[in-house]
Amino acid sequence: MDLETWAKVVPELPKLLQGLLVNVEILLGLISLGFVVGVGAALLEVYAPRPVGFLASAYTWFFRGVPEIVLLFLFYFGFDQFGIKISAFLAAVLALGFRSSAYQAQIFRGALLSIPAGQVMAARALGLSRLGAIRYVVLPQALRLSLAGWSNEFSSVLKDTTLAWGIGVVEVTRQASYIRATDFTLTLPLYLTVALLFLVLTYAGNFAIGMAEKRLRVPGLEGRR
Amino acid sequence: MRAIGAVVLAAVLFGGLALGQEKYVVLSDIAWAPFEWVSQKGFYLGFDLDVMRAIAVLEGYEIEIRDTPFDSIIPAISAGKGDIGASGFTITEERAQVISFSVAYWEANQAAVVRAGSGLTLEQLGAKGRKVGAQRGTTGAFWVEDNWVPKGVTLVEYETYPEAILDLLAGRIEAVVADVDPSKMAVAQYKGKLELAGVIETGERYGFVVRKGDPKGLLPRIERGIAKLKASGAWDLLIQAYFGPALGKIEAAWEKCIPILLVEKDPLRYAQCLVAEVNK
Repeated sequence: MDLETWAKVVPELPKLLQGLLVNVEILLGLISLGFVVGVGAALLEVYAPRPVGFLASAYTWFFRGVPEIVLLFLFYFGFDQFGIKISAFLAAVLALGFRSSAYQAQIFRGALLSIPAGQVMAARALGLSRLGAIRYVVLPQALRLSLAGWSNEFSSVLKDTTLAWGIGVVEVTRQASYIRATDFTLTLPLYLTVALLFLVLTYAGNFAIGMAEKRLRVPGLEGRR
Repeated sequence: MRAIGAVVLAAVLFGGLALGQEKYVVLSDIAWAPFEWVSQKGFYLGFDLDVMRAIAVLEGYEIEIRDTPFDSIIPAISAGKGDIGASGFTITEERAQVISFSVAYWEANQAAVVRAGSGLTLEQLGAKGRKVGAQRGTTGAFWVEDNWVPKGVTLVEYETYPEAILDLLAGRIEAVVADVDPSKMAVAQYKGKLELAGVIETGERYGFVVRKGDPKGLLPRIERGIAKLKASGAWDLLIQAYFGPALGKIEAAWEKCIPILLVEKDPLRYAQCLVAEVNK
């Protein structure tokens, strides 16, 4: 890999960045979906009556247990069996989003369980309903405690977005293979560049989450660690 | 004038001028030059794709070309997510059980690439103790499996062809077996580092793919289109334009000539333009 080879990668950067934008779009979609569904599933697992809690557990069991690429195929090709046309992009967001929700549910569940039960009792004694106690007392603390684990999930799903090419979403690794198809000598420099782009993204994302963690810190709460 | 041309071209390429014609989705793994690749400016071109466009013009339908992973094309066509597969599919018994093939439009052989100066011949490669690489799932890998592995050769499989070439350069394997065209391209790009040990005559044939049983009646139209292209001479011109010249040259020629095919709808004049431009 001499300088001459690297010089050939530089003009291709816009294409790679264009692909990376698609990864970021998938990421934003899947992580928001995963957050909403994940918080819901965690609340059901912890607080809902047995049968419902059991369903929520089954849900997380399924989405944590099936390989991502299989989930992608199931969503992309499976919906057609019921006559629903779904784009590859949407299938990727849904498949990876539901999968992430199962992992996020475990993060939130652990955090919910770490809030002492006495707090709910105290809140109830002060006249809050059970839902009110969860909404205003437990959840705000639990979400704060989840941030560290959540940043792990962020880094993990960011890289998972490259799997979307498996069903035809043209993202950064696919852009790299377009370039590679016309010049085999660029294979290694292209992979290194893609790696670098992801390192930058992971750093930026984790930095932002770290900032949020500081911002949202309640003196005394996290101090128990 | 040029701006208007560009707008018309863009409309044809991306929007498809809706003229009430049927529209079919063509699936292709667009990273396999010169059969299909993405140009510097992001256009889909290549022999397979131009043949698809020319047939659509001749037979009066529209196509939308969609980039799809090779392994997913047959499942996608079976699931109704695409109508035609145009991606250098070798006609095989196994595939013919799940989809239908057009008549063969291409015949390909295999080639073995070795490090320059190694002096290895095909006979020497097919011997006990040799390590030979190939891309997983390709006819190259099957050929080595069937012909050289029984003689004591170790087959090393790779996800993509360029990775196999990288390992050859790194010295972990002694040869890579693949279709002749990508093999020649690798030798040309790694000038002085690689050479062709020889061509293996396997004569596998490529066909276009449609859903099993051809429910939309596409095969007769595709085959009629191929026959028309061959009769007019456009077919041989497309082969001349795509197999041989440098990819950059083909891209420039394609951008200049493609309106003749898509706007003026004249495949023969398009192919002539392409050949004239790449030979400039």
